[in-house]
Amino acid sequence: MAVQGMWSGTISFSLVAIPVRLVAAVKPGRVSFHLLHSKDYSRLSRKMFCPEEEAMVPPDEIIRGYEIMPDKYVLMTDEELESVSPERSRTIEILEFIDMKEVDPIYYDHPYYLVPSKGGEKAYQLLVEVMRRTNKAGLAKFVLAEREYLVAVTSRDGALELVTLHYSDEILPDDDLSPKKGTIEAADEDRMKKSIEQMMEDFDPGKYADGRRKKLMDILAAKASEKALVEAPVVEVEEGEGPADLVAALEESMRKVKESR
Amino acid sequence: MSRTFVDMAGGRLSLSNLEKDLYPSYGFTKARILEYYRGIAPFLLPHLKDRALTLKRYPEGVEQDFFFEKRCPSHRPEWVKTAELPQDHGGPMTFCLVNDLETLIWVENLASLELHVPLARAGSPRTPDSMVFDLDPGEPANILDCARVALILRDLLSGMGLMSYVKTSGQKGLHVFVPLNRRETTFEDTKTFSKAVAEIMQKHYPDLVTAKMAKQERKAKIFINWSQNDASKTMICVYSLRAREKPFVSFPLEWGELEEPGGLGGPERLQVIHSEAVRRIKEKGDLFREVLVKEQKLPHL
Repeated sequence: MAVQGMWSGTISFSLVAIPVRLVAAVKPGRVSFHLLHSKDYSRLSRKMFCPEEEAMVPPDEIIRGYEIMPDKYVLMTDEELESVSPERSRTIEILEFIDMKEVDPIYYDHPYYLVPSKGGEKAYQLLVEVMRRTNKAGLAKFVLAEREYLVAVTSRDGALELVTLHYSDEILPDDDLSPKKGTIEAADEDRMKKSIEQMMEDFDPGKYADGRRKKLMDILAAKASEKALVEAPVVEVEEGEGPADLVAALEESMRKVKESR
Repeated sequence: MSRTFVDMAGGRLSLSNLEKDLYPSYGFTKARILEYYRGIAPFLLPHLKDRALTLKRYPEGVEQDFFFEKRCPSHRPEWVKTAELPQDHGGPMTFCLVNDLETLIWVENLASLELHVPLARAGSPRTPDSMVFDLDPGEPANILDCARVALILRDLLSGMGLMSYVKTSGQKGLHVFVPLNRRETTFEDTKTFSKAVAEIMQKHYPDLVTAKMAKQERKAKIFINWSQNDASKTMICVYSLRAREKPFVSFPLEWGELEEPGGLGGPERLQVIHSEAVRRIKEKGDLFREVLVKEQKLPHL
């Protein structure tokens, strides 16, 4: 979704308004690559292709369609899209306070931190502390990058954490997934409970790491230091004459320069 | 890591590793880098103002790895001014604007020795306020050959009714700036014009000049890089230090200095080192101030 440190405004409820900034709380560890042409190492670019004309399509000929049945589209203009975008807002208005335990983790989308801006430190600390003691979370609506999010603001290690939540209609039902209820044998249940108990540990995320990422980064670091680097060629712009008037005027000026030298 | 705190108008700044030598073969510590920038700030800041800064950071000094940072770091103090600018790829990005001394000291504390900025201001990112010719010598050509080309360029432009100003790149080349400062000018205009100029120069001085980017074309010639006239490109800001062996500065020269016979002192005679920069600016002021204010229209477009 969004980038780091991209929003600042105030978080407010009743008479309290605290200036804050939003910063990223997680950085996905995905390693991304660019696509290059194997022959000359040029960085490849994506172009839109029309299979009907068998030709590239320039940006001004590209429009949006929503598929309502196979090969049937409703067209949507930029203006129409813009008309439904929520207005940019500089506030996170807490609508109600809830017990975070009531929120099913399936609703959690993306975590951020809220950090206090100048002048807001004291009120910020107070809110952090009160929310920690009461163990409550503020539920708010929040506009970021043209979308309105439902968010939960909680107190966490002396700071405010903001988690965007999925809307309820984004949660898929699991009715069809669970098999029909049968009888459970007491002995089977006991045996499974025992094996679970034997495997119980405290949750320690530091024990686990993305092994593939680690190996990839090691390979990349080794290759980079071996100087096994390839270089993209410079793309030459075609040599065309400039506007005729300009070229003529430059030739005239150049003639004088050469005369005086 | 050692820390020193300084109180400034904008707030308290924590400076780190002031004793670290970032130009080890010359001997120039971070403290002296900060001192240089503090002294030059009154002249430098107007040129940085409202321009999206690209940081080029050398945390381990000029002989070690550097990294470019376009996005204004999220750990920035909250008084650092920023601008959101659209990017060619992906969504808009938040850039730092170095509009005051506090922000300048803060970015220098991040060891951003080189300050790179676009030719347009953040409020009007499609309007270049100058046109630039980046003169880049292909070995064995050097800055003195650049000076020859710059002088021809100056006269050619002058014949078109355009005043131009020159500065060292602080590396091997020279930058010729043509102030425009007109709301109507676009990067398409400056690109068309500068490309036509570069091609005329190449046509009339084929042994000295090339307008082609390909490396093999540039050997022993001066490459007139007109393609810098683009919204997505940045130039080293005038008065910025460069991360070379010695702390040379990208510094404005008077045209007369280019006309002196080349033999004396060799190519380095045109380079301006930090102390020389401070001395010269005290004496002559900002030779690049016209670049910020002079209004000129590109003819025949």
